[in-house]
Amino acid sequence: MTTITYPLSRIEGHARVVIDIHDDEVFRADFQAMEMRGFSYYVQGVPAEQITVIVPRICGVCSTAHQVASVKALEDVFGVTPPPLAEDVREVLLLGQLIQNQATSLFIFTMPDRINADSIFEVAEAKKEKERQFSIAQNALRIRKIGTDLISLAGGQFIHPIKTTIGGVTSGIPRQKADEMIKTIDTLLPVAEELVDIYWEMSMEMGDRIGSWGDDEPTYYLASTEADNFRLNSNRLRLMCPEGKECQNFSPHEFESYLQLEDSDYSYAGISSFQGEIMRANSLAGINLANSMGTPKADAFLKRFVQTFGRPAHAIMFFDLCRGIELVYALEKSRQMLECDLEHGETEVGYTPRDGVGYGLVEAPRGPLIHHYEVEKGLIKNANFIIPTVHNMLAIRRALMVAAKRYVSADGISSELGRAVGRVVRAFDPCIACATK
Amino acid sequence: MEQKRELPKFAVLQLSGCSGCEVSLLNSEEWIENFDLVYMPLVVTSNKIPDDVEILLVSGGVRTDEDIHNLVKGASRSKKVIAVGTCALSGGVAQIRESHPARDTYMLSSHRLRLPDMLPRAYPIDRFVNVDIYLPGCPPTPELFMTALTNAENAKIAPIVCQECGRQKLQDMRPTSITGMRSGVTLPDICLINQGFVCVGTSTRGGCGALCTRPGHACVGCRGPANPYLNKEPKFVLDNLRRVFTRMTDIPEEEVNAVLDSPWLSLFLDQFTDYTQDDSLPIRTKEKMI
Repeated sequence: MTTITYPLSRIEGHARVVIDIHDDEVFRADFQAMEMRGFSYYVQGVPAEQITVIVPRICGVCSTAHQVASVKALEDVFGVTPPPLAEDVREVLLLGQLIQNQATSLFIFTMPDRINADSIFEVAEAKKEKERQFSIAQNALRIRKIGTDLISLAGGQFIHPIKTTIGGVTSGIPRQKADEMIKTIDTLLPVAEELVDIYWEMSMEMGDRIGSWGDDEPTYYLASTEADNFRLNSNRLRLMCPEGKECQNFSPHEFESYLQLEDSDYSYAGISSFQGEIMRANSLAGINLANSMGTPKADAFLKRFVQTFGRPAHAIMFFDLCRGIELVYALEKSRQMLECDLEHGETEVGYTPRDGVGYGLVEAPRGPLIHHYEVEKGLIKNANFIIPTVHNMLAIRRALMVAAKRYVSADGISSELGRAVGRVVRAFDPCIACATK
Repeated sequence: MEQKRELPKFAVLQLSGCSGCEVSLLNSEEWIENFDLVYMPLVVTSNKIPDDVEILLVSGGVRTDEDIHNLVKGASRSKKVIAVGTCALSGGVAQIRESHPARDTYMLSSHRLRLPDMLPRAYPIDRFVNVDIYLPGCPPTPELFMTALTNAENAKIAPIVCQECGRQKLQDMRPTSITGMRSGVTLPDICLINQGFVCVGTSTRGGCGALCTRPGHACVGCRGPANPYLNKEPKFVLDNLRRVFTRMTDIPEEEVNAVLDSPWLSLFLDQFTDYTQDDSLPIRTKEKMI
């Protein structure tokens, strides 16, 4: 038996792919998370109200989603409802994170794959001869920075934000800052659209070159955004069947009846399924489950996507294109929200801590994230983090198997396999820091 | 292009952490012009650290046997090592101490076939390699990254967070109990201790621009102790905080003590002073601290 190990770069965290080949046949393809973070262990015994400062540290890329989910779970335990203004500030915060994440995944992580470059900086050099594309790297970083600036504005700081607290937010968004942000978005939205177009073209060329978009069988899709309201500060989860019908709709309180969570013996990350069936979360799930994005430019991209590839769309590389739709949406939507008064009005309400069980749901950039806490005598007795990347683990493994079979034959192992492995994993944009318990 | 080849080689090694430091570094884009990035798996396809690296940034704590291997190898190929972030300096918030109730279950579940083994705890990197500059923070701001990379020798860092906070300390506003996080309203412009919050900005190293306290969240001490408490046991930081609360509030001493001893604060405060309990670690002088 031959074992090939592919270390992975341009993803969040430490992971690798290990493929076992026996008699020219692919025997096994594993996606391995290399370390166990252990947050569900450390937080046992921590005073409940303090967990919201600790859990963003699960992941510096996804800290915003963890902070909001954590606060929402405790609000559920304590029976607090934050004022509408706070809900809106949290939405802006989550939109900022979506911009940051999708810009990073599209331009820093996956764009180099489109032209077989090693990094976004090389993309810039390779495309230098074309005037339009010279500033891809610079523009990509500028778009990404809108996301981090929005997080700073709505969250206090762009990594491990602090403004979301139990009962609301510590402060709103001042008019002047909102106006500055709107100006920046107005300048850069056309740049973002152009980048998404370039990305789309590069992807089409890549699809032609390798002769595949990463074909794989249809699966279930999981998202917590609504069909006509792509709100990230979400309340319910929806599941789409492989043939394209929404077949389940449930609250985070009921997740255990729908999602099966297990450990795996080949990775430090867990795996989850819909009653044993493979499912996918992340951009493609949200887009497959959306009728409309609710903003004009994003809707135009959505229409183009559905007309070109149908609905539901299943090929692996579509995840990347869908991230582009979400990026444009998040820019448009945050601009809309910043036009409203997010400064004046009730920002937070008081509360009395109590023991109990609570669930906090948000649509993180990688899919639905649930924090589930049990509080006893004011302390965290149990904490369970239901992580979007974990929903994709079985799908990643199957997609790797499909890719490996494509490039391993009696003639040998194609040198394209290493690149294919990277493309497949990056399409799912896994977050390894989050994915281990 | 000709010029680019002469730029100093720069590498970023991420051990066990959350990538927050790398995300922060990406926001301080100026280094792109000043350095030749030769290794940073988060953004560049790169499987090993090349020789003759000028500056090696290390983030994350040492958590697996593979981390030790990568760290020692990386440092041996680099002229200067900068430890960035709370995890590299202390192991990090992701820490499960000997006394932790869940430690045994964690250790029992942290083995897998064909994967690195988890060490009994997360270690600071200076237990294994020599560190030239320490940059604490969870994460350090982009500005601090630039200082560490380009101007470490002349860095001017505010001694404590209060100096950058801008909230006013009032003589006549003396809370009688800890507000925790449950007041429902945070008054703008007034010191958070006056409002009964457990803010540790008075003992914490500044330089962050008081990012948390200005919008109204108490400082949790992520930049570690201010210069006077470097290399000192946790007791010194805690005693200083006790003094601050006695001077500024009428909160009963038992209540203050209960909070200062809580696992939350200890996660942040202890971890920075924890190294003073370990004789195998070098002294960290203030000249090496950003």
